[in-house]
Amino acid sequence: MSLRHIRAGTKKEILHILRDRMTLALVLITPTVLLFIMAYALTVDLRDVPIVILDYDRSPISRDFAQQITAGDDLQLYSMASTFDEVEQLLILGDVKAALIINPDFAHELLSLQGLPLQIIIDGTEPESGGFAVDHIALRAEEFINARLAESIKALGYEFDTLQPIDLRIRSWFNPSLKPRVDLIPGLISMVLGLPALSVALTFSHEREHGTLEQLLATPISRLDLLLGKMLPYVFFGLLNVVMIPLVAMAWFRIPFNGSFLLYLGLSAVFLFAILGIGMIVGVFMRSQAAALALSFLVIFFPGFFLTGIFFPITSMPEIMRLEALALPGTHYAIITRGVFLPGIGLEVLWPYAIMLFGLGVMFIAVAVLFFRKKLA
Amino acid sequence: MIRRIYAIIRKEFIHLRHDWWLPAFMLIGGAMELLLIGWATSRPITNLPLMVLDNDKSSASRQVVTALENTGTFYIEGQVNEFEEIENALEKGDIIAAIIFPQDYSQQVNSSNGKPTLAVILNGAESIPATAALRAVEGVARQLGEQITIQRLNISQEQLAGFSPSLRVWFNQALNEALYTTPAELSLMLEFTILLFAALTFTRERELGTLEGLLVMPFSSLEIIIGKSIPVILVGFLDFLLLLGITNLAFGVPVRGSFPLLLILVLIYILVELGKGLVISVISRTQHQAFLLVLIVGMVDFMFTGYAAPVESMPQFLQIIANVIPANHMLAITRGILLKGSGLSALGLHVIALLVLVIVIGTFSFRFVRRALD
Repeated sequence: MSLRHIRAGTKKEILHILRDRMTLALVLITPTVLLFIMAYALTVDLRDVPIVILDYDRSPISRDFAQQITAGDDLQLYSMASTFDEVEQLLILGDVKAALIINPDFAHELLSLQGLPLQIIIDGTEPESGGFAVDHIALRAEEFINARLAESIKALGYEFDTLQPIDLRIRSWFNPSLKPRVDLIPGLISMVLGLPALSVALTFSHEREHGTLEQLLATPISRLDLLLGKMLPYVFFGLLNVVMIPLVAMAWFRIPFNGSFLLYLGLSAVFLFAILGIGMIVGVFMRSQAAALALSFLVIFFPGFFLTGIFFPITSMPEIMRLEALALPGTHYAIITRGVFLPGIGLEVLWPYAIMLFGLGVMFIAVAVLFFRKKLA
Repeated sequence: MIRRIYAIIRKEFIHLRHDWWLPAFMLIGGAMELLLIGWATSRPITNLPLMVLDNDKSSASRQVVTALENTGTFYIEGQVNEFEEIENALEKGDIIAAIIFPQDYSQQVNSSNGKPTLAVILNGAESIPATAALRAVEGVARQLGEQITIQRLNISQEQLAGFSPSLRVWFNQALNEALYTTPAELSLMLEFTILLFAALTFTRERELGTLEGLLVMPFSSLEIIIGKSIPVILVGFLDFLLLLGITNLAFGVPVRGSFPLLLILVLIYILVELGKGLVISVISRTQHQAFLLVLIVGMVDFMFTGYAAPVESMPQFLQIIANVIPANHMLAITRGILLKGSGLSALGLHVIALLVLVIVIGTFSFRFVRRALD
């Protein structure tokens, strides 16, 4: 390992990047742009979910009920249907996510304390909105009953309180209203920082595709130095994004940043080495840029999105996938970013993840160097 | 003309054979990836670590813990004696939720008008599992509450039943997650495959300096575009069939509607994405650029498909944009045909939108590419 050689490699790579301004701009802004898009589209708070109501009862009470259900901005009354066919049609068209059906003797049964005959049909192809509609209809229905029946229940000698005996006190730490945006944005940083890794993979296969790699190999620069030299500019670009993203997150999305910025920066650098190591392996392996690209998608991009526990908890995955998740640098880094952003914890808690990241980084770079030797010996 | 187009197609396939990693990764790799991701993510959220601080240590509190375990949502990470341990575990992110029983829990349960308190702390740093945990806890609390009420008031189950609405779910009867996540993951993979393939067609030749060679040959720009497009369409179609086969065989996603209709619409969709990919391919100077542009365009599209958040809940101007995103209509069509068995009449608007888009984007990109080539 020679610093001079690494510097030479880095300089060459930087010249290369600077010559092509358009690519430079894209490399610089793409991670932040992606994060922005994803933050916007993935973490929308559900509201105005369209539902249809079919009121078979047509009594003043049922009309009142139908009106109350859609009084808030969570559910939106798409239309009042008059036949079941209409309901079916709307569900199939996907115009409504749920249908509420009020039975013919709704008012009668409600007042005689026989129960609340409600039918909710949800569009099972979109269970997110459907489940949301069910929850909120149930909530409103309960409020409605409480208001209507308080008197009659008292007359029977019951207190309303006794009907809900358990006092459930729920508190959510670090994110009091459980807004997905608050933890997804820190989590997604690990995903968008996969982009510099893809760039590294491409620069390598670029040299191979153009046949310039042989020239580099003919210089006295060692393989390891060559790899590190090519990597450094992208670590630098990655770190620019690492700084930029929390600024966007804090200023635009109002996400708190409670931890130490220096720690975040340092661990991000470790993560970048690990993920760029994967990029190296891909780049060394593939002969053409197109193939390197396709492989990068498979090993960096898609797993980084789906398998690092950002969206879907790792503990719920099958055993083997949990092991795979452990081998992805993004898994550990997502824990770190969330930890630094929200609870604001430090290295005393995060050290195991930092060590894992470091270990993975060393391993990936070692594998890349090994392949590099073998393939082009 | 046909012979010349055929010649270009052959040239493209020779490329593919030469660089066989590319189609291998795109087709087989994509299919394997769908299998893995589908397998890992198409299940209910289960097995969330829960910590218990039981100051009561009674049969009543144990009953609650057992009920929570039986939901399948939780596994008990540990019984602790100090609140500090919960605090630490939450900060480390080791647990998603913790439940705390006060000392008088069983006493309150057994007294005739007591109000037993259950304190639950959620780890908001992982809001998605925390929300699932919240649902499960609320469900258990409701059940327990009913039991207690029934005992206290000595009334029947039916008399209480009035306070919960009945639920019937349509279409996706079992609420099987695979049925709604995998069609979306399928369309994501398909879109990226086509965009990437199309975007690389001209960029690659330009970067390697072979585009000029192609242009001086006796091909018209029309022939070049068609010849270059057909392999992309074929690969895209093959990819779709492969992915559909996997969703069907491995995840049991049915094809309830008309299969030929689906194939025709997929073909139209492939044409739209092809158009976008070709535009990217003529404006990018290097493959690197083309790739980054594909990523931005592809992700924007994906976000508008309603995979994670339904389009209806987005701000108004985003909803308007969503209408011109082909992937949005395609996902509605795929889900409609696969899961609901919808026909042309139900999908009419989406089909029309797709047709309009293919005409607009297709013409634009064709003219754009043609001008760039000439």
